[in-house]
Amino acid sequence: MDLHLNAPYCMGTIVGVTYDDGVVLGADSRMTIGMLVANDSVSDKITQLTDKVYICRSGPAAVLEFVSDYVRNILDQQTIQFGQPATVKATANLVRLFSYKNTNAIQMGQMGMIVGGWDKYEGGQIFAVAQGGTILKLPYAIDGSGSSGIEGFLDRAWKEGMSKDKAEKLVVKAVSLAIASDAASGGAVRTVTINSDGVRKNCYPPDSLPLCDDKRRRTKTKKTTTTRTERRIDAPKP
Amino acid sequence: MSIFEYNGSAVVAMVGKNCFAIASDRRLGVNLQTIATDFQRIYKIHDKLYIGLSGLATDAQTLYQRLVFRHKLYQLREERDMKPETFASLVSALLYEKRFGPYFCQPVIAGLDDDDVPFICTMDCLGAKELAKDFVVSGTASESLYGVCESMYKPNMESEELFETISQALLSSVDRDCLSGWGGHVLLVTPTEVVERTLKGRMD
Repeated sequence: MDLHLNAPYCMGTIVGVTYDDGVVLGADSRMTIGMLVANDSVSDKITQLTDKVYICRSGPAAVLEFVSDYVRNILDQQTIQFGQPATVKATANLVRLFSYKNTNAIQMGQMGMIVGGWDKYEGGQIFAVAQGGTILKLPYAIDGSGSSGIEGFLDRAWKEGMSKDKAEKLVVKAVSLAIASDAASGGAVRTVTINSDGVRKNCYPPDSLPLCDDKRRRTKTKKTTTTRTERRIDAPKP
Repeated sequence: MSIFEYNGSAVVAMVGKNCFAIASDRRLGVNLQTIATDFQRIYKIHDKLYIGLSGLATDAQTLYQRLVFRHKLYQLREERDMKPETFASLVSALLYEKRFGPYFCQPVIAGLDDDDVPFICTMDCLGAKELAKDFVVSGTASESLYGVCESMYKPNMESEELFETISQALLSSVDRDCLSGWGGHVLLVTPTEVVERTLKGRMD
C-alpha cells in the first residue's frame, strides 16, 4: 500500500443508520497528515451530493473531495435532464462506478464511503461503498479507521424503526466510542439527519460528548504533595 | 509506522529557579488503538532524580527495572544517592551496550544535584547525551513540543509558573499528535517537596 504520508487523510470514523422516517449520518472531524493532526474540530466529512443525498467520506482527502465534486456535477446535469432530484440509489451507483473504475489509479490507501439520503420512492436508504467499488445496501453502515471498534456495539444497539432522536443519539454515541478508542478519530461529532421534511445538520463539540471524561480506564488520580525531609547519609569519615 | 511510534508518547522536562518539572502524557496505544489512558512514563529513581522514558513501552519498563537495580546497588556500595550527572552517564552506557540491538526508548532525565541546582538531559536510543539548560523533550510529539517550549519558556521561573508553562506546553503539543494525549502527568520538584499533579486534557 503506497501511502502518501504527506497528504491529508480523513480516516476517522463515519456512521450511517436508517430509522423509521429517514437516515442519520455521522462522522468525527479529525484530519491527519501522517500522525500529525492537521485539523481537529472544523473539518466536515459529510458532503452534500444532491438536495437529500449526502456522502460520508473516509480516506485520502484529495481523492474524496474530487469524488464528491465530480458526482455532484453529474447529478446536477441529471436533475436538469430528468426534472427531479436524483435517487439515492443512482447517486450511490455513481460513487461506486468512480471507485471501481479508478481502483488501480488511486494508490493512496483505504477509501470507504457511505452514501445516505432520502428519496420519494424508497424512503431513507444507506449504501456503503467500500474499497474497490463494492456497493452494499444496508440498514446501518460504518467505515473508517475507528469503525472496527464499534462494529459489535452497533450490531447490538441498532433497532428497526427507531425514532429520529434515538437514531441521532445512537450515532453520536457510536462515534464517541470510536473517538475514545481510535487515535485517528477525534474532535467534534457532526450529524446530518435526512428525512421527508428536509435536512438537519448538527455539531456536537468535543466537550459535550458522552465519553469526553472517560473514567473507565483510569486508576484513581489524586494530587500528592510529598514534603521531603533532609535524609543524607554521609560517607564514613576516614 | 516506526517502532518508536508503536505505543505513542510525549515527555518534556523544564528547568526553573531552583526547581524542575517533568511531564508526560498518559496514553498507551497499540498502533492506532488506545489501550490504556493512565500509563505511567515518569519513574522515580530517588527523591531528587526522575527519569521519563518515551518510546516502546516494554523497553521503557525493562530499562527502568535495570536502572533501579543498578541504582540500588550503587546506594549499597556508596551509601548515598546517585548524582544526576552520574546517573545520566549510567543510562548512556547502558543504552550503548545494546548498540546493535537497542532499547527503543528515548530517556529524559531530570534531577537536583547536591547543591539543589536543577539538571536535565535527554538522549537518543543509543545513548547520545544532550544536556540543556532550559528544556528537553522526547516522544512522538517531540516536534510540536520543541516549538511550543521554545516559545513559552522563560528562564528562572518560580515553581507555580513553571507548572503552568509545562502543562500548557504538553497539552498543546499532544493535541496535535494522534498517538499521545489523554491528559498529562506533571511532577514539580523543588528542594523541599515533590508535587505530583494529573492534567485533564482532550480525551481523543
